[in-house]
Amino acid sequence: MNKRSRTRLLVATGVIVAVFIVGVVVLVQRQGAYYSQVSELTAGQYDGKNVKVGGRVIGETIQRDAEGVHFAIQDLTGQQATVNVLYSGQMPNTFEPGVDVVVIGRYAADGTLITAEQLQTKCPSKYEGKASPASTQ
Amino acid sequence: MIVLGQLSLTFAFIFALASAAFLFMGLRWDRKDFQRNGYYAVYGFFLTTVIAAAVLLQAFLKKDFSFAYVASHSDATLSTFYRVASFWAGQEGSFLFWLLVLAIAIIVIAVIDLNRLERLTGGAVAVLAVISAVFAALMVFDTGSNPFLRAEAGTMPFGLNPLLLHPGMVFHPPTLFIGYVGLAVPFAFAVSALLIGRGDKLWVRRSQKWAVFGWLFLSLGIGLGAWWAYVVLSFGGYWAWDPVENTSLVPWLTATALLHSFTLYKARGLFKRWSLGLAVLTFWFTILATWTTRTGLISSVHAFGRNQVLIWILSSFLVVTAVGSIGLIVWRWRAFESHDEVESWLSRDFLYYVTNLLFTLFAVAVAFATVAVPLLFPDRAVGPSTYDVIARPLGVVVLAMIAVCPLLAWRKTDGARLRRTLILPTVTMLLSAPLWLYLGFQSTIWGFIGLLVCGFAFGAVIQFVLRSARRAAGPDRSLWSGLGRAFTGSRPRTAAYIVHLGMVLVVAGLLGSSLYKVEQSTILQVKEGETASINGYTLTYRGMTESAGEQSSTRAVATFDVSKDGTSIGTVGPHTDVYPVSGAAVRAVILGRPFEDLFVVTDEPFDATSKTIALRIVIFPLIRWVWIGSILLCVGAAVSLWPRRQRQEQETRAVEPAEADATV
Repeated sequence: MNKRSRTRLLVATGVIVAVFIVGVVVLVQRQGAYYSQVSELTAGQYDGKNVKVGGRVIGETIQRDAEGVHFAIQDLTGQQATVNVLYSGQMPNTFEPGVDVVVIGRYAADGTLITAEQLQTKCPSKYEGKASPASTQ
Repeated sequence: MIVLGQLSLTFAFIFALASAAFLFMGLRWDRKDFQRNGYYAVYGFFLTTVIAAAVLLQAFLKKDFSFAYVASHSDATLSTFYRVASFWAGQEGSFLFWLLVLAIAIIVIAVIDLNRLERLTGGAVAVLAVISAVFAALMVFDTGSNPFLRAEAGTMPFGLNPLLLHPGMVFHPPTLFIGYVGLAVPFAFAVSALLIGRGDKLWVRRSQKWAVFGWLFLSLGIGLGAWWAYVVLSFGGYWAWDPVENTSLVPWLTATALLHSFTLYKARGLFKRWSLGLAVLTFWFTILATWTTRTGLISSVHAFGRNQVLIWILSSFLVVTAVGSIGLIVWRWRAFESHDEVESWLSRDFLYYVTNLLFTLFAVAVAFATVAVPLLFPDRAVGPSTYDVIARPLGVVVLAMIAVCPLLAWRKTDGARLRRTLILPTVTMLLSAPLWLYLGFQSTIWGFIGLLVCGFAFGAVIQFVLRSARRAAGPDRSLWSGLGRAFTGSRPRTAAYIVHLGMVLVVAGLLGSSLYKVEQSTILQVKEGETASINGYTLTYRGMTESAGEQSSTRAVATFDVSKDGTSIGTVGPHTDVYPVSGAAVRAVILGRPFEDLFVVTDEPFDATSKTIALRIVIFPLIRWVWIGSILLCVGAAVSLWPRRQRQEQETRAVEPAEADATV
């Protein structure tokens, strides 16, 4: 095998792989969201950062306007904490009062508001029908 | 009946194990009689699996709600079509469907080989039998995955989730599973070739069609899933970078690289280790996809519930496959030395190499961000915008490769000839610019550049066709006669034209519909004459009707007149379907325009008593190109699968006996 062409190929591979890995790591570092509980948000270190938070939708708080949907979610670990969410994307079909959702977005301590980039309801297409009549509240 | 289903599943498991045992013994001691017995056990496995599937199917058809699975995935009001589709609507049934497809693949391979009793194929069937045994074991040992459980007395049928009542959803899961099974075959042959140390191209020849077949169905499955998400799921588009979506994309990426490696492996003995690695990686990623969807360890909108037995079986399967395959590749490293090498930067060979590298890196990065990040760094999460930042430039780079590849020669490219071939793509690139400007795409400079590359790639594909036409015509015949032969001459080449053209359309459509999407939501009073406008479109509310819909549902339709810049262009009726058992779902309507879709949906269910409607209007430019491109991908793959002419077939056969088995 031609040694020179082989070395060149290895160098090219090395460069591509290195650039790619550095790019991905930097990207995840800079854009990756921090997973936290609703009750931990107010501690301060999340202000202005991307966060991923799970919570239960408080029915009475759901409001729609031209900006999108405003609602508040309740902490899932039993703490008495809530955070406001603004989501302007399209609502999943299974969004409703009392469902558990996961939101990813930027948290602002001012107004304790998460401007959500992504809203997931837990398992809407869990390949199952809605809960049986007996188990709904 | 439940007992029959249960029994045949258990026997399917035993038969799969037995056939694997016989075949591995046959492989170890090179005993044809063992191999034959192994194939007979495969027959048993196939029969019992078919019986199990038939039992479940008849339960759905006869509305036998004493089956817990039937009761929780259908109800009496469901039409026959959807009751058949409910078969794979849940975890238990989809495993059984998967097992059935595996059984069909394995019996086809075994029957073809029954009179040949090739050592390599015996080993591959053994590997497939092990995979089948794992899937059968999931259903037999994990109660959460067993489709043959008796429903508790008095259970009310749950009905199918209304979101799933759509042809896109009916065909999306089975096509994915078929794709996954197709891609298990190259893996099986790779492992078999490694076990017997046969570094020639026989294993590639035996499994290449399966790889194309798997890739075809995987493309189709991903496309159908995206279409379904677009028209039904209301996730605000066709792709959300959700873990389950990502894990179906990942094997598609490595399978694409695998197909490219296979062609050079066969033609010139290049990329042998790449082919092995990619075959293993692709299969491993399909299992990872199952693992992600089924174990519930990664939170996803699509995932099934969490489940201990399943986690153990699937996780150990992943670990064993990874460790075993890496061990085998290291052990047989020398047997798979390439005969040839990549000589020059300016050659197709080098681009194939970069294709392998980039697709693999992209796949690994997506898999890492999807699965490893949440497990290793539970406090971090990767959002869709991060994936977009990785995917968009990479998509354009891949496109640039599609563009440049046909312009280059194998091995080494002559500079003067290269300059001549650059003319046509440059012209189409310049011609496409006014179109992008007309559509207002200059608003994002990177998107605009990406779309110019699409224009270039389009010209390059045309150039590719023309050049082979000129070559086929020879000096004294017209270009037209050559054109016919350029398409009929070599199936893989024709497939390449079509698939690459499809990819150009898909990437252009993805760029257009994601970077230039315009979205607006409005709260509208339910009053005739109320309007909402976006980008020159005006929607005027005309009224609401309620009627009976499919599957005993009631449908409330809000009708809007649509006009563009003052001219009426039609009406749209976004609606809410309310199903008797399973609840309400909003449905979007789409008004197709030549270069964009007007997508109209409501943000929440409504009926005749609603005072307001939360209307969402989205403009998706070029989205149609994604669907057309995806169809071209599948057509291209189908073309390369089409049986070859008799003569070529015979030529291939004549070569085969010359390649003797390498000894262990």
